[in-house]
Amino acid sequence: MRKQKTTTPAADRSSKMTFRACLKELMAFVRPYRLKLGFALFMVIIANMTYAINPMMEGRITTQLASDAEDILSHVTGAHVQFDVIFRIIGILIALYLIKTVSQLLTAIFLTDAIQQTMHDIRNALQKKIQRLPVKYFDDHAFGDLLSTVTNDVDTLSNALQQTLTRVFAAVLTFIFVISMMLYVNVWMTLVALIIIPLTVIVTRFFVRHSQKLFDTQQKTVGELNGTITELYGGFNEILLFNKQEDSIAQFRDVNERMAKSAFRAQFISSLISPFVSLITYLTIGAVAVLGCFFVISRTITLGNLQAFIRYIWQINDPLSQVSQLSSQVQAAFSAMNRIFTLLAADEEDQGGQTAVDTGHIQGSVTFDHVQFGYDDELLMNDVSFQVKPGQMVAIVGPTGAGKTTLMNLLLRFYDVKGGSIKIDGVDIRDMRREDLRRLFSLVLQDTWLFAGSIFDNIRYGHLPARKDEVVDAAKMANIHHYIRTLSHGYDSLINEEANNISQGEKQLLTIARAIIKDPRILVLDEATSSVDTRLERMLQEAMQKVMAGRTSFVIAHRLSTIRNADLILVVQNGDIIEQGTHDELLAQKGTYEKLYHSQFANQDFD
Amino acid sequence: MKLILRYLKHYKGLLVLNIIAIFGFALVELGIPTIVSEMIDNGVMNQDKTYLIRMGLLIAVIAVIGVTGTILLGFCCAKISTSVTRDIRDDVFVKVSSFSPHEMNQFGVSSLITRTNNDAFQIMMFLNVILRTALLTPVMVIISFTLTIRASLSLSLIIASTVPVIVIGVIIVAKISGPISDRQQKSLDAINRIFRENLTGIRVIRAFNNDAYESQRFDRENSHFMKQSKNLFKLMSATEPVFFLLMNIAALIIYYTASVMIDHQTLLVGQLVAFMEYLFHAMFSVMLFCMVFMMYPRANISAKRILAVLETNPVIHNPAASDAPEAPVQASQNLTDVSGNKQRLQKKLCGASSGMTTIQQQNCHRLVFDHVDFVYPDGDEAVLKDISFEARSGQTTAFIGSTGSGKSSLIRLIPRFYDIASGKITIDGQDIAAMDLHELRDKIGFVPQRANLFSGTIADNIRFGKPDATMEEIKRAARIAQAYDFIMEKPHQLNERIVEGATNVSGGQKQRLSIARALVRRPEIYIYDDSFSALDFKTDAALRQALKAEVSDAIVLIVAQRVSTIMDADQIIVLNEGRIAGIGTHRQLLQSCPIYHEIAASQLSEEELQYA
Repeated sequence: MRKQKTTTPAADRSSKMTFRACLKELMAFVRPYRLKLGFALFMVIIANMTYAINPMMEGRITTQLASDAEDILSHVTGAHVQFDVIFRIIGILIALYLIKTVSQLLTAIFLTDAIQQTMHDIRNALQKKIQRLPVKYFDDHAFGDLLSTVTNDVDTLSNALQQTLTRVFAAVLTFIFVISMMLYVNVWMTLVALIIIPLTVIVTRFFVRHSQKLFDTQQKTVGELNGTITELYGGFNEILLFNKQEDSIAQFRDVNERMAKSAFRAQFISSLISPFVSLITYLTIGAVAVLGCFFVISRTITLGNLQAFIRYIWQINDPLSQVSQLSSQVQAAFSAMNRIFTLLAADEEDQGGQTAVDTGHIQGSVTFDHVQFGYDDELLMNDVSFQVKPGQMVAIVGPTGAGKTTLMNLLLRFYDVKGGSIKIDGVDIRDMRREDLRRLFSLVLQDTWLFAGSIFDNIRYGHLPARKDEVVDAAKMANIHHYIRTLSHGYDSLINEEANNISQGEKQLLTIARAIIKDPRILVLDEATSSVDTRLERMLQEAMQKVMAGRTSFVIAHRLSTIRNADLILVVQNGDIIEQGTHDELLAQKGTYEKLYHSQFANQDFD
Repeated sequence: MKLILRYLKHYKGLLVLNIIAIFGFALVELGIPTIVSEMIDNGVMNQDKTYLIRMGLLIAVIAVIGVTGTILLGFCCAKISTSVTRDIRDDVFVKVSSFSPHEMNQFGVSSLITRTNNDAFQIMMFLNVILRTALLTPVMVIISFTLTIRASLSLSLIIASTVPVIVIGVIIVAKISGPISDRQQKSLDAINRIFRENLTGIRVIRAFNNDAYESQRFDRENSHFMKQSKNLFKLMSATEPVFFLLMNIAALIIYYTASVMIDHQTLLVGQLVAFMEYLFHAMFSVMLFCMVFMMYPRANISAKRILAVLETNPVIHNPAASDAPEAPVQASQNLTDVSGNKQRLQKKLCGASSGMTTIQQQNCHRLVFDHVDFVYPDGDEAVLKDISFEARSGQTTAFIGSTGSGKSSLIRLIPRFYDIASGKITIDGQDIAAMDLHELRDKIGFVPQRANLFSGTIADNIRFGKPDATMEEIKRAARIAQAYDFIMEKPHQLNERIVEGATNVSGGQKQRLSIARALVRRPEIYIYDDSFSALDFKTDAALRQALKAEVSDAIVLIVAQRVSTIMDADQIIVLNEGRIAGIGTHRQLLQSCPIYHEIAASQLSEEELQYA
């Protein structure tokens, strides 16, 4: 229930890795810690060996006591318990117990170190990977899935390695050691006892096959329940307003009831495995006890060995009854590994060309030269050409969802053009190093991304080496300094995780400050729409004017005043630029822009 | 624990069965060693083979009985734990459904989701352990101790002395691991947070070339998490071997003591063998009991989180359901004498301007705010102060003002999302606090800022407003809401499915569907809470024109940021810091209200201002 597996079709399509390939990838991560891991596994072997020998040694005490007791009972003169023998065995046992405990502790320490280090490295690798994936990747993959890989999948893998690995390894060792010990005690009894194994396999298979389906159904119901809860809680206001409480309770009860039923079935069926495996074990113990007693009577084996033998049967019963549980854990671990390494193997964006650009001396002229572009195979932008001189302002206009952000995506090379080229100061941006290219830009988006941290850190984010006074200057220029001063902790005030402790408008001003501190050659601004109140709106406009001064800027515009001041207006529709020119030129064309412009006044038709 | 017991009460029968089943399990686990020891003492010593075979068959019989018990145990466990979880979830959900927005915000949607889902799941896991292991342990311990005492009193004392050591050990481990586990969990949350930030801010991070900085930030938290995980896992995996060592040492002491006793002929060897088996099983169930301790803190946190929901009572009560009137109601009753003041408001003939043909005579409604003050349940400062106005059928009343001016709070008072502190809100003269909540909300068509759609078809979503709406009504509402065209472009048109989270429709489309959903109800009062923000100017204009004709017999309230959206309203109420700064038409306010003029000037061009 902790995780809800939602693999997108896209994730399914991407090449599934084989077990072997997964293991190879994992080994690469384990390599730095292989000595620790190897040592830990070696300690598991030691611990299991002593674990297998213990019943034998304990049995020797019983044997000794039994024969002594018999002597005492039959009044053999001078008969008594031979304490020297007993002490010797106890001494050996103490040594064995200590060896076992120490090796178990060493396993715990070294295994944990090796595995947690590996997980740490994998998490870091995933984070770095995210930074290097092309932006396009995130169009096809839901954030939730990626997030789930970093947390749930790594967690599943960690648990699997931390617990399942040693348990599987120990189970195999137990089998080997215990069976050899059993053989050492008595071949016939061993043969009887070993019937357990095939029977257990059959029983387990039978139930696993049946419970697997039930678990799948349960997993699906879990998803449904989660979905229903999310939706009904998310739409809480609507449910109140439309008086739907009773309907939603009925809807929930229905899913919840199905959830309870399917969970019950899955739990009950899988809980049957253990009793049936135990039944086999009990019956075997009964058979072995009878047979063993016969052998003791015929003096084929000692009493202590019989006792040890019965203990051995319990010992192999333990891993056997866990087989199904372990196998499902192993499966879960492999599918987690698959998702992790598939993500790590995804293609990265190239780091750009080799042309050295002196970013300090770029003027900021931008040329689109017969640019073609589409997010998939279909072209949206067919043939776009325009030129922006250094310091000019370009306004991008168009209806909602027309693809105004496409230009921004192309300029910063979040996506590459499909034809033609984009040049800055005459250099094709594909020939620049990505780092250099991005050094030229500052972004102010409507989706004001801030991270949980202090206001100071968030402004400084635009230029990490910035000094305190530079941060304050940027804040002043962005009209946000006064607001920050009114906060109880000033620049050290923390922005919380949802960033909902400051308003949208103030957030936007902070992102402007962040853009200013970078001192970019080219600005990309997404003008605020109506979600900002009027007073802030004016502060924003002012701040934007200040930043744009002397810089080439691209503004996704919603205000006519901005549009009319633009040196170039690009009219976007369905992803393509359909008209371009100045305000007056475009009005004269009497095209889409003209209609768009006049729709601003449509409200006056009401009067 | 309190929570679990409360729910277990309903399953007494199963619980009894569960405990009986445990005895069946104990019977085999302890019966088999007893029989084996009898076999050694009687069969082997006397060389009685028929006795041995008879005993072998006895083992088979009790094995079958025992297994039947275990199966029954599995059944009871699964039945009780899943049923209790279902009951808890049902109750939590019903409780949440009774909440008002205040409680909803207090907990937060995502927290309530986790509480209903994951926390209930934690309880189920814990219950499983309790029903199996925790109940098993006392049974096993008591029986095996009785048996050991029967076998040998002095040997049992040695075992008894190890029990407190183990219990204390477990408590210590739980005490130490608790805080570490807490820190680990917090650190994991931080990792998730940073990673989520990395995903949502992908463009910004790249534009600022800050990937190295992000990696550094991530690594810091990741390393911290690793440290906590190492400590936790080391502690957890060291516990078991140490306990087993204790057990082993106790066993050795018993062997030694037994040797002495056998030497003095006070103990039989078979008894010793049986004794060791009992010890093994008793200790094993004590070990299992430790798991309960380990799981307890986590389950306890979950139980507390669930209880917090169940014990929260909503601040809004339905007057029909609860007899005791609460503070706001009383307050408003004390203030009835001021209600005469509303006479000051300019009266208009309502319904008269409407050209609709089939409107009933009494379709003339009045919504009155009478000196309303409002404070949020947790707040100490009034968000709204002394608000008085009147809205009538056929009139459009618009609210404008900067963020924090209180306009969204104001309209949320009408469906009683929150109760007022003083003053009175009436609809057709009736105090809304005295009205049945269900009836009150039926009068209202509310279109929220952020439209929420539900999974189902588009038609289902519109029908949400009126369950018995005909296809014609649905289409009509869609047309007026300017949603018809885009619906018809969808492959399944009105039967097109909206997926969970409504990710397959754009923000503007969502808003239009949410408007259609309100329209289909044909309510007395329409409330638009900044509902046109995701629409482009063209659609905005077309929509408002269509609405104007449709809602001429209803009270219309609009909250807006764009002046152009409300310029043509019958009355515009300008709010500033919770007070009314001006009421009037666009033209009147441009002249009389400086705040309004300022807002308009920032949004409209010179010629637009002139034109007005």
